[in-house]
Amino acid sequence: MTELAAPGLAPSMRSGRRFTSQTSALLLMLPPALVLFTLFVALPLFDAAYYSLFKWDGYGTPTDFIGLDNFKQALGHAVFWQAVRNTLIVLAVSVFVQLPVALGLALLIYEKTPANTLFRLIFFLPFILAEVASGLIWSFVFDGNTGVAAALFHALGMEPVFILADRHWAFAAITLVIVWKYFGFHMMIYIAALQGVPKEMLEAARLEGGGRWAIVRHVQVPMIASAIGVSVFFSIVGSLQLFDVVIPLTNGGPSNSTHTIVTYLYTFGLTRTRIGFGSAVGVMLFVTAVAVAVLYQRQISKGGRS
Amino acid sequence: MANVELSSINKTFGAVETIPNLTLSIPHGSFTVLVGPSGCGKSTLLRMVAGLESPTKGSIAIGNRDVTHEEPSKRGISMVFQSYALFPHMTVEQNIDFGLRLAKVPQAEREARVAAAAEVLHLKPLLKRKPAALSGGQRQRVAIGRSIVRNPEVFLFDEPLSNLDAALRTQMRVELADLHKRLNATMIYVTHDQVEAMTLADQIVVMNAGRIEQVGSPMELYDTPNTLFVATFIGSPRMNLISGQSAKAEGATTIGIRPEHIAVDDANGIWSGRLRFAEHLGNETIAYVESDVGEIIIRLAGHHGLKEGTLRMTPDRLHLHRFDENGRRISAVN
Amino acid sequence: MNAFRFLPALGKAVVLLLFTGFVLGPLTVAVFGGFKSNGELRVNPFGIPQQWDFEFYAAMLGDPAFWRYMGNSLIISLSTVFLTLIVSAAAAYVFAQIRFLGSRMMQAYLLAGLVFPFATAILPLFIKVRDLGLLDSYWAVILPQTAFGLSLSIMLFKTFFEQLPKDLFEAAHVEGCGYVRFFWQFTLPLSTPILATVGVFVFVQSWNNFLLPLVVINSRELFTWPLGMMQFRGEYLAEWNRTLAFISLTILPAVAFFIVAQKYIVAGLTGGAVKG
Repeated sequence: MTELAAPGLAPSMRSGRRFTSQTSALLLMLPPALVLFTLFVALPLFDAAYYSLFKWDGYGTPTDFIGLDNFKQALGHAVFWQAVRNTLIVLAVSVFVQLPVALGLALLIYEKTPANTLFRLIFFLPFILAEVASGLIWSFVFDGNTGVAAALFHALGMEPVFILADRHWAFAAITLVIVWKYFGFHMMIYIAALQGVPKEMLEAARLEGGGRWAIVRHVQVPMIASAIGVSVFFSIVGSLQLFDVVIPLTNGGPSNSTHTIVTYLYTFGLTRTRIGFGSAVGVMLFVTAVAVAVLYQRQISKGGRS
Repeated sequence: MANVELSSINKTFGAVETIPNLTLSIPHGSFTVLVGPSGCGKSTLLRMVAGLESPTKGSIAIGNRDVTHEEPSKRGISMVFQSYALFPHMTVEQNIDFGLRLAKVPQAEREARVAAAAEVLHLKPLLKRKPAALSGGQRQRVAIGRSIVRNPEVFLFDEPLSNLDAALRTQMRVELADLHKRLNATMIYVTHDQVEAMTLADQIVVMNAGRIEQVGSPMELYDTPNTLFVATFIGSPRMNLISGQSAKAEGATTIGIRPEHIAVDDANGIWSGRLRFAEHLGNETIAYVESDVGEIIIRLAGHHGLKEGTLRMTPDRLHLHRFDENGRRISAVN
Repeated sequence: MNAFRFLPALGKAVVLLLFTGFVLGPLTVAVFGGFKSNGELRVNPFGIPQQWDFEFYAAMLGDPAFWRYMGNSLIISLSTVFLTLIVSAAAAYVFAQIRFLGSRMMQAYLLAGLVFPFATAILPLFIKVRDLGLLDSYWAVILPQTAFGLSLSIMLFKTFFEQLPKDLFEAAHVEGCGYVRFFWQFTLPLSTPILATVGVFVFVQSWNNFLLPLVVINSRELFTWPLGMMQFRGEYLAEWNRTLAFISLTILPAVAFFIVAQKYIVAGLTGGAVKG
């Protein structure tokens, strides 16, 4: 790596000892990050692309080259499409339910008062709890013998329904848990953005005769448009990698109806030691994530111009 | 002997040539002030002496030793920054001591030197404080303390007073002048404030667009500016410049006359004009006159009851400055 | 106070309390559930326990396996935090302080990790960890976690380091201070807010991580607490109170930690979000 710091690249590097001081800093401080990142992030990605072309159980070296068969198999698998659909449902709920809720709450409590701070902490709390613990708590709440559902149906004099074991209700229940877990996070993004809107601007709008709602609509929401973009971006990335919450709630069941892409990848790739197949799903996930990021970047730079 | 010699210095940042070709000699023990408008290259020059920038071409010698490629810490210099650049997580004592510790000066000597610096700069009671707990003037003193403790041969100052309020600035000016007298070291001082330059320097270097306009003592620059730029840069209110017929009559493209060298004299005044406005400052009166040779500023001593309306003025021909079409001084007033 | 001001205030209070109930309801249910017998759980799943039964909490606290899970998680999380801070602060420092050929390229490379989910490469990662002989060890979790945390933390550190006054480095440089020493003696001590933010953030992520330990750890001796909890749930399917006691015992320290460190968590999220 010495050639990277070749003299003459930066004018300030000419003098002798500074050159060595810079070089030793480069040689000492950069490689750990590069090595770790390459070994555990970059290489596995390339490996995934490679493995995805083989039928391989993970032992020995992959030899059974099957081209794009793994991709074809996944794309021909009804459960895969169910997982895609579920991911889209999570995304829709995030954008059309969670986002307005988070924005509304943020508008209610973005000002810095002790009471607001307390509510902010409470609403944010689920975000830092482990997904697995959250999932387990809610699976108790939904439990057909002891949970809310049980009490509710009991009160109505009906037979208890095991929500999480019901094909029609299981995934709806999961989305409820997701909203519970993550709305506080999105609220925080909005609060930070709302606090960044200059107070004078709101006061000016009020002097112009703007009512509360007009100020929200015409001043505050437009001013935090980039935060809304960030929040949507996180919703997309979050729904693409949903895993931990689902496992304790349904483990993908009943009859594979509640898989997300990652639980699908885990269940049909790893637990059945079909590394090639799982890698193919991973590659598709990767391509989607990169596409989303690129679109998002492009949207940002467009927004920046207008 | 710590004279500083800059020879044929060129500094280019990318495609921008900040300093085309500059040679400057700073004698040992002098207090040299580099002055000029912002962007004239004075700070870059100072930073090259410090070793924070390297010249693209040319060489720098301190005490007849070529230091062009030497580390800053090996040049025998120290520097006071505009922001002071005190280390916020260290106490005043640790700030002052830092360079000595890096230079592996023995403990006992370090303590003695820090104590001596603290004594000189009245920092004794502040030694255990952190910079955040100090006033602007105190921070300034710590920054100076940090630079004198290493006994450098050359002190560098980069606009050190610009963050202080007016009263403190005057006081620190006096202290810096004292310090220079006591230490008998070479000092190079960058400022855009010509008053600082005039009061502190024994040698002023006026810079403009990467070039040296003139080098000289404050009074030389004031009395015989070599260029139009120096003529207008030094002195406040600035020198009146007159071109056209009156200048031609003097054999020049432009003539200059300082505000205090114009007498108001309604009887025989050779220029006539209309008083637009007068500032009464008590010890002097500044008059802004719309005259037949252009806008004229006049400085009159003491209270001066100027009447509205027309007045006549006479320039003191002994103090007339004449400049040619290139803005260069035409020497010898006849 | 007239009705025009009072009604919105009331509406706001109702909305906030409803959401408070939504958020805290399941958590209190879990904490109370750990005090109830299975019989009571069946008839009174949500209320305050009629009979406070400390047996299940006591059993958990007396279970060496529980403490082992927590200990494993703690070791892994603290190591991840330590390693992430050192490695990414060092890299970010180089990017912020030194101009060199390839700097931009390397930054783009390291920041690419921001773009894609951890799960995409989980299978090859499993193979990689196995081939390196790290499977079923603390390192199997620590190293990949650190690697995946680098992108965000390098970005946060670099932004912060660039805002440190440039004069400080020059002043130290004039005094004879080199790059590496400046990093230890100036950059790190002056960066405690961002170190705390990144540290807390990395800690929470590591503490809660489930997928990676699930894939790379097999032996119960090394289980982190999420793995232990899922295992436990599987063993006591019929006894919700035991699982609820387990969950509650892991939630309480998380809540305590959150209250202490919330300032940094929020700063990390919003900082990352704004830049992201």
